[in-house]
Amino acid sequence: MLLIHCPYCDEDRAEVEFVYGGEAHIARPLDPSALDDTQWESYLYLRRNPRGRHHERWRHTYGCGRFFNAVRDTVSDVIETTYKAGEARR
Amino acid sequence: MIEITPLAVSAADLVVGTAPVSGHDVRLSLAPAAARYSLRARDPATLAGVIGRALPTRIGDMQGGIACLGPDEYYALLPAGERVPDGAGLPVSVVDVSDRALGFVVEGTGAAAAIATGCPLDLDRFAVGRATRTLFETVEIILLREDTTRFRIEVWRSFAPWLWHALVAAIADR
Repeated sequence: MLLIHCPYCDEDRAEVEFVYGGEAHIARPLDPSALDDTQWESYLYLRRNPRGRHHERWRHTYGCGRFFNAVRDTVSDVIETTYKAGEARR
Repeated sequence: MIEITPLAVSAADLVVGTAPVSGHDVRLSLAPAAARYSLRARDPATLAGVIGRALPTRIGDMQGGIACLGPDEYYALLPAGERVPDGAGLPVSVVDVSDRALGFVVEGTGAAAAIATGCPLDLDRFAVGRATRTLFETVEIILLREDTTRFRIEVWRSFAPWLWHALVAAIADR
C-alpha cells in the first residue's frame, strides 16, 4: 500500500483515499480567444510526460477533499514531496 | 457462540439490521437519530459566529460534536432536533443533512480490528476525539473515535445496508 502525505491533513494516508489529477502547474490562458489553434491544443492536450521527476496534482477525495501537488518519480513511483495547491513548484 | 447473519443474496435482503449484532468482542448497533449539518466557510471565525459554537482548529479534530473534515469543511453531529442558524447573507454554508446519513456504533475491544478489515487508516494512531472522512472497502464513510473501544461510522443511507452487512461479516469472520 502506497502512503501519500496530505499537506492539508498533515498525515500519511493510504493511496486509495486519493485520486490522481494529471500534470500540475498548467495555468489556464487568461485570454483563450487570443490563442491560435496550436497554442490552444498545447494547453488542452500536450503534456510533458517525463521519465523521472513529475509534478502532478492529486486530490484527497476520501479525506479532506483538497487538491494538492506532488512530485513523483515516474520510474520508481516514489513520491518525493507534496505541497499545497498554489505554492511554488518544488 | 455468534449468530451469523447470512450475506445478502438479493437487493431485497440488503437491509440495515434493527437489532444490534455482537460477537468476538465487538458490538455493532444503529445510532439513534441525530441532527447533522454540513458546514463550509473560508473564514472559521465567521462560521463560529453564525452557529454560536466553537470550532475545532486542526483537521481531524472534534469539539462539541463538530468535526473538522478539511480546511474549510466541518461536520456537526448534534442531538436530534437541534437547530443551527443558517447565516443567510453571510459567506458561509450551513446545510441540514440530517437525513443524508445513518450512524453505526462499533464498540468493544475488537472494534478497531473489525473496522480495520475494510478501512485503510492506521487506527493505532487514530486517537480518541479524532474524526475523518475515509473509506470502508469502496464506500465513503466518516469515522469518529469516541473512545478507545468505541467508534462511530457515518455513512450515506444508500450505502448503509451494504456497510451493515460488511461489518456483520467482519465481526463473524474474526
